[in-house]
Amino acid sequence: MKPLILLIEDDAQIRRFLRAALDAEGYRLQESITAEEGLAQAASRQPDLILLDLGLPDRDGLEVIQKIREWGKIPILVLSARGQEKDKIAALDLGADDYVAKPFAVGELLARIRAALRRSITRVDGAGSLVKFGPVEVDLEKRVVRVDSKEVHLTPNEYKLLQVLIQHAGKVLTQRQLLNEVWGPQHTEQAQYLRVYIAQLRRKLERNPARPKYLQTEPGVGYRLVPEE
Amino acid sequence: MRSLREALLAIAIVAVATIASVALRDALAPTNLAMIYLGGVVVVAMRCSRWVSVTSSFLSVAAFDFFCVPPYLTFAVSDYQYVFTFAGMLVVALVISTQTARLKEHASHAAVREARTEALYRLSSKLAGETRVFEAARSAATLAEDVFGARVVIFLPEDGNLSFRRRTSDLLPVPPSEESIAQWVFDHGHKAGLRTDVHSDATALYIPLRGARETFGVLAVLPDLENRIFAPEQQQLLEVFAGQTAVAIERTLSQRSAEETRVHMQTEQMRSSLLSAMSHDLRTPLASITGAASTLRTQDDRLPLETKQELLESISDEAERLGRLVGNLLDMTKFESGGVELRRDLYPLEEIVGTVLQRMEPQLEGRAVSTDLAENLPMVFVDDVLLGQVLWNLLENATKYTPPVSPLDLAAFEQDGAVIIEVRDRGPGIPPGEEELIFEKFYRGKSEKARGAGLGLPICRAIVQAHRGTIQALPRDGGGTTFRISLPVESK
Repeated sequence: MKPLILLIEDDAQIRRFLRAALDAEGYRLQESITAEEGLAQAASRQPDLILLDLGLPDRDGLEVIQKIREWGKIPILVLSARGQEKDKIAALDLGADDYVAKPFAVGELLARIRAALRRSITRVDGAGSLVKFGPVEVDLEKRVVRVDSKEVHLTPNEYKLLQVLIQHAGKVLTQRQLLNEVWGPQHTEQAQYLRVYIAQLRRKLERNPARPKYLQTEPGVGYRLVPEE
Repeated sequence: MRSLREALLAIAIVAVATIASVALRDALAPTNLAMIYLGGVVVVAMRCSRWVSVTSSFLSVAAFDFFCVPPYLTFAVSDYQYVFTFAGMLVVALVISTQTARLKEHASHAAVREARTEALYRLSSKLAGETRVFEAARSAATLAEDVFGARVVIFLPEDGNLSFRRRTSDLLPVPPSEESIAQWVFDHGHKAGLRTDVHSDATALYIPLRGARETFGVLAVLPDLENRIFAPEQQQLLEVFAGQTAVAIERTLSQRSAEETRVHMQTEQMRSSLLSAMSHDLRTPLASITGAASTLRTQDDRLPLETKQELLESISDEAERLGRLVGNLLDMTKFESGGVELRRDLYPLEEIVGTVLQRMEPQLEGRAVSTDLAENLPMVFVDDVLLGQVLWNLLENATKYTPPVSPLDLAAFEQDGAVIIEVRDRGPGIPPGEEELIFEKFYRGKSEKARGAGLGLPICRAIVQAHRGTIQALPRDGGGTTFRISLPVESK
């Protein structure tokens, strides 16, 4: 059966074009206008993905994420206003999977939906121990990294950082999330470490570190590993 | 404490004079030995207070009688001529004591006056540069602690009432219950608290900061160990100090209201030019969108497929243009209203450049952009999103105003304590005389290729200036333009 998407959005015009676009892609769609209704439907219909607008009339969208994460791992894609980096970070830290800033092109939204759905499926299967993107090959079992088939030496922290990014490939990770996973909860404020390590990883893995293809920055939010399609 | 020390010193000096006199008793006439005692009195008068030196005068005469005038070791005198010697010696000693004491008082008054002038000078020069009330109060409190050697806190009003929450020190050194005393001082403009008629049981002395028209806050002084601040001249100085602080705050406030008026006028001016720009720039794309959409709706069945595609494309292009315009307007308004909060941190420049270039990919349409970032470039202390926007705007301009085949270069290096970032093109260059104008709001180049609202570069300048940097457009050797951003190297 086609994946079911729950759209929680109060603006009728946006719902209208999303309905058309998602329908054309063959997704099944359930619409909610308020946070309350959305929460109820998320629990009863168990959708495969939730598209959530942060500016809802009855409740803060961030609260919706929190509530849903209390009981489930349904991928949540946030629709946020342009320039609201703080909201994006808050949404991701609460467990949202990704965000798309309004105004957005449908093509971009559909790509993000596909990626999020794919991730939620592979999470069940478990990723293989060999990961490849571009010229990079990572053997997660042997902890070996090769670029163009040549072995590259990574420091333990560099490897750990890469590993976390691979685990969440395609997903934005906030600086806080990365610092927490690699260095531990007491270091979540020391973002400049993270930047230095990302820069080093880029120098070792990217063909042109000044124009990274795989280790991408989400300005003001965090980082994302983009494996080649 | 101090008077006991002086008394002991006086006794010691008289004792030394006595020992010297006894030793010289056989060689000198007693009247000459009196000179040794007078010398001692001079020393005491110079070092001690008036009463100690007067007492030492009497003591000297007594010791002289007892040890130096025969018969020795008794106050009895063999020759009554010595009564004259005693009287003369006493008068001279007393004159020396009082005169020296007076001289010393003069000198110490002069020193106090000088210290006071210096303290007030330091206060006024420190407060002269302050443009914010709270900062002025904080400087004044810090300086007062230094000058008076006591703990000083200044409380400022909040919504018309004095509040212990708005204070210049982190800790509250007085009990919260004394807020009402401070309020009373604030309301009445009279001092209260320790050693005054009102609430003399308080832990601190509260002095109003009274300006010409109103009271701006309350200065609280906690007594120091030796209670020096309660000396009359210190009290006087404290009050002058409080007055000066109030005047400085008053000036700060009036400066601010002048500044607010100026900003307000500028905002008004901006609003009117904004309106005229908006009417044109917003309506043009809107007209295309409305036109194309209504054509599609009413004449759908009569339009060839190709035309339909064209109309759809124009709707999406124009909507995008409108979106950019609205975005720029919002950004500019945010900057103008001071609503932009920089979220600065240390970033490798490489990362910011990389993100921008990666996001620019579609606009660049395969055009070559070379990047030349110097090695060992220090990290830049910036808001990454905003600096990214500056680079984005510069590169976007470059793609719009230079031929598609011409190369773009992005370079960065360190020079004289600043990180320089340059975006260089090989376009037609900026007409001489317009290098500064292009950074003005709503200015559009004379060449009619320009289609923007004239906000991109002003936003760039606003962002760079918010980072205490500069941005300029320079003609490039061999043709084209260099946009040069200079950011001071700063740490967190």
